[in-house]
Amino acid sequence: MEIFNYLIQGAMVAFQPVNLLFCFIGVLMGTLVGVLPGLGPTAAIALLLPVSFHIPPVATIIMLSGIYYGAMYGGSTTSILVNMPGEAASVITCLDGHQMAKQGRAGPALGIAAFGSFIAGTLGIVGIVLLAPPMAQFALAFGPPEYFSMMLMGIVIIIYMSSGSILKDFMTAVFGLLLGTIGMDTIAGTQRLTFGVLELADGVGFIPAVMGLFGISEILMNVERIVATTLVTEKVKNLLPTLQDWKESIKPILRGSVLGFVIGVLPGPAPVIATYASYAMEKKLSKTPEKFGTGFIAGVAGPESANNAASSGAMIPLFTLGIPANSVIAVLLGAFMIHGLQPGPMFITKYPEIFWGTVVSMYLGNAMLLVLNLPLIPLWVKVLKIPYSILFPLILIFCLIGVYSLNFSQVEIGLMTAFGVLGYLMRKFKFEMAPLILALVLGPMMESNLRLSLLLNQGDASVFLTKPISAVFMGISVLLIVSNMIPAIRNRRSKFKEKLGEDDV
Amino acid sequence: MKRNDLIGGFFFLTVGFFFAVYSRSVDVGTMEEPGPGFLPLWAGVLLAIMSAALLGRTFFKKFDQGEAFFPETDSWKRVGMVVASLIVYNLLLRQLGFILVTFLFVAFLVRFIFPQTWLKTAVTAALSTAGAQLVFVTLLEIQFPKGPLGF
Repeated sequence: MEIFNYLIQGAMVAFQPVNLLFCFIGVLMGTLVGVLPGLGPTAAIALLLPVSFHIPPVATIIMLSGIYYGAMYGGSTTSILVNMPGEAASVITCLDGHQMAKQGRAGPALGIAAFGSFIAGTLGIVGIVLLAPPMAQFALAFGPPEYFSMMLMGIVIIIYMSSGSILKDFMTAVFGLLLGTIGMDTIAGTQRLTFGVLELADGVGFIPAVMGLFGISEILMNVERIVATTLVTEKVKNLLPTLQDWKESIKPILRGSVLGFVIGVLPGPAPVIATYASYAMEKKLSKTPEKFGTGFIAGVAGPESANNAASSGAMIPLFTLGIPANSVIAVLLGAFMIHGLQPGPMFITKYPEIFWGTVVSMYLGNAMLLVLNLPLIPLWVKVLKIPYSILFPLILIFCLIGVYSLNFSQVEIGLMTAFGVLGYLMRKFKFEMAPLILALVLGPMMESNLRLSLLLNQGDASVFLTKPISAVFMGISVLLIVSNMIPAIRNRRSKFKEKLGEDDV
Repeated sequence: MKRNDLIGGFFFLTVGFFFAVYSRSVDVGTMEEPGPGFLPLWAGVLLAIMSAALLGRTFFKKFDQGEAFFPETDSWKRVGMVVASLIVYNLLLRQLGFILVTFLFVAFLVRFIFPQTWLKTAVTAALSTAGAQLVFVTLLEIQFPKGPLGF
């Protein structure tokens, strides 16, 4: 079996002490930011991008992926104990999880969340192993027109999924594209909009932009008012769910895993959508739907498994197409680019050690999370007690040091501050951040693929519609935009988005 | 909300115009051979058109009593102070050196944003500066500007 050879090869990478260490750091950091409200995986990965400069590429990807799925574990802790989502994908866990905590059953709630996540993570990895290589094979047939159409579709989907007005989201996406054009042109080498500033020659630093837009602006939102956190319980005991708990949870876990994974592969804020979808499905399938919301363990098990499976699923388009499905993955893609790696159809064959190493490390990471997370809950409870007034200066210092250590450039500190203010204002004026960041990441690739497509086809723009694969992508984009203009669908979408809230996802 | 969309619309209208005008100073090229100014021009035009559409759509809406810009009356002070401290950090980094400016930065924020006691302020600032020095300078060997006092 070829796959087993690859997995062994991956294991040899993942078990190297250095990679084990960074996997551990990643999942630990991930849990930490998951636990802390007001600091999500997107911001955390953005904050660590500068540090990743000093780490080998495999270890970087392993660590940053660890943050992503680690945050899915951590988020549930805060939802259950504080009734406040540690990050967006754990909103739904508050419903039943916090009720359980109030009834003195915080232990089993935390336990089933961790076990469910582990099972989902395991199934998700099996999914990646089976799906990613054939998907990459399929994408090998892509030329510049297909790539352009696919990236366009990615942006349209994220706009369709995000919670703002479609017009405003398109505006922020185009704004992102424009920001991406600043710097040296990749084809002709011309300097654009750099105003003679050396730092702008390689483009608006992606890292200062992301750290500003996500990290700094988040803090500016949070210092507006004091939010006090109140813990429901100090002591958490009986983490192991009982046999009865398992009986009620195992099916939701398995269903949540499959559902989450499928949603994860599709573009959009997958983990968040997956939790809502799983909760709705369990409620519909349950013989006792009235129990949901009163501290029913299935209401924790399903969604918590779904968000973890979704975070695995979202790795597939990243590795095989080079397309980030959501803003966390967009920032992760930035990490690939820092190390000069271009994910895409050739990636798995070209860098088997990174792909298979990461896949195996995800399994190890999930195991570490299961083993570590439960005993560490007292520690997370302590972390939750650190007041934000002390925490945010530390996050800011981390941002400042991180961005400075990239190029030892004070211009980049200034850029980060400026993007922080811009991001803050955009949030205030209800412009979504996710389309901007995705367009900023994809912008340079989209531009060169657009220009190459036109160049290779003598300026004939119809090539995007005459090539079948490209035509399908274009068709889906148009369909999504048009469908939103049909009132019935638009109303359903806005109802759905209301439920999702405005969290950045 | 009307105010949000008006201000946002004007901002992005300006941005779109700026890119569209600027792109003409680099080679726009043709459809057959698009140059470096090609995307900035058309994306700028597109952004300007969409902003105009947003403004047009918003213009005929009634003014609505939406939420206030700041949730609390003194929110603007805290947001302003954080932004100002980031700018000042950057300005003083070379003058005072990494250690001193980091200490002052943390101390200022802890003491004045959500005021803590002087003791907590001093402890937080000292510990975080020491931690940053240990992790980033000693372990990761990142070079930061030193101040006039040699640290």
